[in-house]
Amino acid sequence: MNALKRLVGPTAALCAVVLVFSVIAPESFCTFQNVRTLSAQSVVVVLGAIGMTFVVVGGGIDLSVGSVIALSSVATALMIRSGFGSGAACLVGCVVGLAIGCINGFLVASARLPAFIATLGTMGIARGLAKWLAGQSTVYPPEEWTSSLMAKNPDPSWMLFAPGVWLTIAVAIAFGFILSRTVFGAWVTAIGSNESAARLCGVPVARVRWSTYALCGLLAGVAGVLQFHRLSSGDPTTATGKELEVIAAVVIGGAALSGGFGTVGGSIVGAILMAVLANGCNLVDWNSLGRWGVSAEVAETLTTWFGSSGIPNYVQEILVGAVIVVAALADRRRHR
Amino acid sequence: MIKMINMIKMINMTTSIHSAQSCRRWLAVMACAMSFAGLSAISGQQEKVRPLIAVIPKGTTHEFWKTVHAGALKGASEAGVDILWKGPAREDDRDDQIKVVESAVSRQVQGIVIAPLDEQALVPSLKEAAVAKIPVVIFDSGIKWDGRASFVATDNRRGGVLAAEEMGRILAGKGRIVVMRYVEGSASTALREDGFLATIKEKFPGIVIVSSDQYGGATVDSAYRVAENLLNRFADLNGMYAPNEPTTYASMKALKDLGRGTSVHLVGFDASEKLVAGLRDGSVDALVVQNPFRMGELAVTTMAKVIRGETVQRDVDTGCTLVTRHNIDEPAIRAVLEPPIAQWLK
Repeated sequence: MNALKRLVGPTAALCAVVLVFSVIAPESFCTFQNVRTLSAQSVVVVLGAIGMTFVVVGGGIDLSVGSVIALSSVATALMIRSGFGSGAACLVGCVVGLAIGCINGFLVASARLPAFIATLGTMGIARGLAKWLAGQSTVYPPEEWTSSLMAKNPDPSWMLFAPGVWLTIAVAIAFGFILSRTVFGAWVTAIGSNESAARLCGVPVARVRWSTYALCGLLAGVAGVLQFHRLSSGDPTTATGKELEVIAAVVIGGAALSGGFGTVGGSIVGAILMAVLANGCNLVDWNSLGRWGVSAEVAETLTTWFGSSGIPNYVQEILVGAVIVVAALADRRRHR
Repeated sequence: MIKMINMIKMINMTTSIHSAQSCRRWLAVMACAMSFAGLSAISGQQEKVRPLIAVIPKGTTHEFWKTVHAGALKGASEAGVDILWKGPAREDDRDDQIKVVESAVSRQVQGIVIAPLDEQALVPSLKEAAVAKIPVVIFDSGIKWDGRASFVATDNRRGGVLAAEEMGRILAGKGRIVVMRYVEGSASTALREDGFLATIKEKFPGIVIVSSDQYGGATVDSAYRVAENLLNRFADLNGMYAPNEPTTYASMKALKDLGRGTSVHLVGFDASEKLVAGLRDGSVDALVVQNPFRMGELAVTTMAKVIRGETVQRDVDTGCTLVTRHNIDEPAIRAVLEPPIAQWLK
């Protein structure tokens, strides 16, 4: 039940943010179309965060996620452009992610490099590979049957959300189960909280650690395939800095960066919280505050401070940064 | 597993409460709006609501876009519309710009005016805008989609040709030059690069292009590093061409810092205070200057016409001019170089 208690903080924060935006931007924020949009906007970070949760719980970190997303989306685009079916192309995208993940796993678990350094290296390697494969430009493949994977208005309309969103939900349930209800999940937690104790208890430390990185790479590969379908082009510069967003989601979700604790559910809440902040900030209209009894002068002041275009980008960045700090502080208090 | 299910239940509960509330709120708002519309219909007096147009630049930090912003504000006041100025946080983040378009659609604006970061990546989200009956005017950069109401832009290829002719004149048709490209997939700068390269090859066979495959990247910082590397790699350069403001500024700074300003002639694109100062002190030889102020103005007034149901031209050229130290003080050039930004942007 401790895990559930830990989820209360991030979930409450998410609800609070949703409530605030529902009040100040009701016409645009609380629409079904916007929920669809939000879900499509957050799948890439959510997938990355699920994989990253395993790595972080196991006491590591993976900085290569953003670059792997780019490499996988470029690989998918190239495969489709050279005439392979898009099913095969998507598979290749995932395998490319898995491959980089395996390299990370080898470097950290077998070669015993510090995770920060090893994945910093593969981050550069994957980004460079992506640019090289794409010939330093963006790859534009023809449309294929998977093109609607990220369509916000899916074709059989009973699907309600983009197919990629359903895929993400399935992945989330599966991996949430693996982390919290299987022996493998318990091993990951064990090596993250006390590696030597885990080793003495007979946990195959190197193999488990290796698997967490492979898994993170695989999910980053899946995220890359979805990113490709969202942009309908293979862009080697996409998702720069996404790894930090992913790590932030995991931290906001209550995972300890020192390892040993974290939940898939929490990380997803963290990712959605950041997506809602960005989406809501774009939709705010100060003048509509009048209906909540806010005087015209206050609305006027807010407009002169922030302009008429809602909450500017820099405020969003400050907000997300503040949320990360608060989440880390909450984690620290729990440990004292 | 049970934890997960509980969590999902919790989220479901809270969201359903929200949606119930928002439904009620929605109904209230709708009822208000309908009775309002009814009233004005009865009295025969159309309540004048200014249409809201989302103007989406490629970025918001470069001076070029600030000038476009000022022009857009002037266009808005001329045409009696309101604008919503919102761009992606980073100039090469396609995903970010797609999000801005999506939120404009969510906000149900009356029109979207956009400078697409990518000729293909923005197409699906603009199609969705079209499905929601929101007209789209493209400005600055082209897009591979024919659903637009109009395309308001500089003839970028012609700008590249102007730059190449000036480079040929400065070097008297002989020398070694580099072309620093901007960002992969940016249509407007690609045309400026292509126009330049084609003209040099065609008209000035004595000029050797030693490098034209280096991309400066979206920030001055990255372009500066690329410029430094290019200059270090080629010791015997005579000329350098950069296709927009950040790359030109980065080239100028690199030339100055490496002490190559006198031996390498720089022809750039776009103008800013720093670049005009560089033109005056000789660190830049010539600039091809677009008219971003006029571009912002025309983009918004064209969209206003579309909203009013008037016919508009499918392509609107906003023109470009070659500025050198010699013609910089002519009144016609001054008007382009110093648009009344302060008057429109506080």
